[in-house]
Amino acid sequence: MESFFVRYRNLLVLLAILVAQIIGLAMQVRRAGAGRSTLDSHDSSGVRLIRLWAEALVSPPERVIHNTKLGILHVWNNYFYLRNVRQQNQDLQKTIDRLRLEQAALLEDARQGQRLQALLGFQEKYIYATVAAQAIGTSGSEQSHVFYIDKGEDYHLKPDMAVITGDGIVGKIRDVFPHTAQVLAINDQTSGAGVILQTTRIRGILRGNADGQLMIVGILADERIQPGEVVLTAGGDLIFPRGLPVGAVEKVIRDPDRDAFIDVMVKPAAHLDRIDEVLVITSTQPRFSDQQQKDIAASEAVKGAEAEAIQEQLKASQINAERLPGLADPNAPAANPPAKPGENPGQAAPAAVPPAPKLLPTLHPDRFSPGAALTPDTGAGTSASPKTGTSSSQQSAPPSAPRRNP
Amino acid sequence: MSLLGANFRRDMEIHRYPLLVYGLIPLIALVLQAWLPRVLGAYTWLDLPLVVTIYFALGRRSPIQGTLMGAAIGIFEDALSHHAIGVNGIAKTAVGFLAASVGIRIDVENFTIRVLLNFLLSLLSSAIFLFVYRVLLGLDLEWNWLTQLFIAIGNSVIALVLFPLLDRLQIRD
Repeated sequence: MESFFVRYRNLLVLLAILVAQIIGLAMQVRRAGAGRSTLDSHDSSGVRLIRLWAEALVSPPERVIHNTKLGILHVWNNYFYLRNVRQQNQDLQKTIDRLRLEQAALLEDARQGQRLQALLGFQEKYIYATVAAQAIGTSGSEQSHVFYIDKGEDYHLKPDMAVITGDGIVGKIRDVFPHTAQVLAINDQTSGAGVILQTTRIRGILRGNADGQLMIVGILADERIQPGEVVLTAGGDLIFPRGLPVGAVEKVIRDPDRDAFIDVMVKPAAHLDRIDEVLVITSTQPRFSDQQQKDIAASEAVKGAEAEAIQEQLKASQINAERLPGLADPNAPAANPPAKPGENPGQAAPAAVPPAPKLLPTLHPDRFSPGAALTPDTGAGTSASPKTGTSSSQQSAPPSAPRRNP
Repeated sequence: MSLLGANFRRDMEIHRYPLLVYGLIPLIALVLQAWLPRVLGAYTWLDLPLVVTIYFALGRRSPIQGTLMGAAIGIFEDALSHHAIGVNGIAKTAVGFLAASVGIRIDVENFTIRVLLNFLLSLLSSAIFLFVYRVLLGLDLEWNWLTQLFIAIGNSVIALVLFPLLDRLQIRD
């Protein structure tokens, strides 16, 4: 027996290590039905520990490399490569002056918009807090489009926070470590983001393919989708706020598996291959600054004062209406006077006839004129005859309730 | 390809390195592999940890050591990715074992053999990765063999440059 182990020790060691890893893999996946499996979205404590060790070993050298690169670039760009800087400076100064004017106008609009949205209870998600971070490394694997940023739990980052750049969305945080975080890029096969095409308003799911290209899947064939159309986040995935740029349609191809569907290839707005600085969206809840809160309060106060003024006006008009003489004869008895004592309560007063609409006088009355049929003796043209000496309104006044003699 | 007796090669040409090299070189390979895509973008057609695994397995000519080093490096790579831990581990374990087993029988100092071995073992590693991912785990994964071919070529070229450099770290009697 001893010779067997000695003779086949290489194979036995290989088998033992393979079996151990296979068992470890089996513990990380679960059945998703239809013969397919899926990875656990959250790592177990053991797996997380291994990832933590690996990250702790790789991150410090990556930081050193990254900082060295930044330092070299800084020295080069600020002390050596200064060609055309004076001209650029002048151009930029002009641009700044122009943008200041535009910004002042836009700021007013933005504040007004926020005030109105707050007043209307608008629940749209906006980016209210971000954390800037530097990308320091990647997974190094062709099949895993993840990268690491230099901020982690120390900056209160959490899984599923959206990661963007000024150009567009980049990914979401998958795992957070003490001083770093792992970001799953949107061009990974396992990522997913709800998107909408800006012009056609067609919605779909964005994910990556084997080559790390972006594609929108699950769209019914539609001829309106043309290259160049802007793709935005739809906001339905609870990760990316609505309306962030994703990219532009590059081309449309048929879904190889389903005839009626197409895949829309998207050129990303952000440079996913060369990411340096990113922003992590840490809050999308409406949170206004002090000044904005004051503005909103002032607006609310104005709104309350206006409502109060309207109420005052209504009250005053009612008082005036009571004081002014009305059309009804104040001396006339009420249409439905209260039953007097002694009267039979069972004898109900005659029901009030609803008022009929007032008719305008007929200029050339004939037998079809209103009232002509009712008064045949008067003959045509007498229904509204001036002989009566009464106004048309009086003529066409609704029949009043029968008078009761007291 | 010059075939030699297994015992002869084992006794005469087992490469020995300072202990630090066994830890430091794989770590540098892993760090560079994680950092290079930031510079080269989508054109990072190389797998430095695999090249290092093959190098040490060939040099040490010990299947057990090759297996262990392959497993450790592969698991480390998996830990940096978002895949299940063990996919790369199994692929590189097999590659380490095979490289060491082959290293016993052939002259690994020959440049042509080095290039050929790196090319074939890179493709084998990709195939094992795909097998584990799709068949063993039943997970969906789109695959592009052309990229894997480029990576295999890249590994072969890198091996041509890297192997002589690493040979300088050997302990010479």
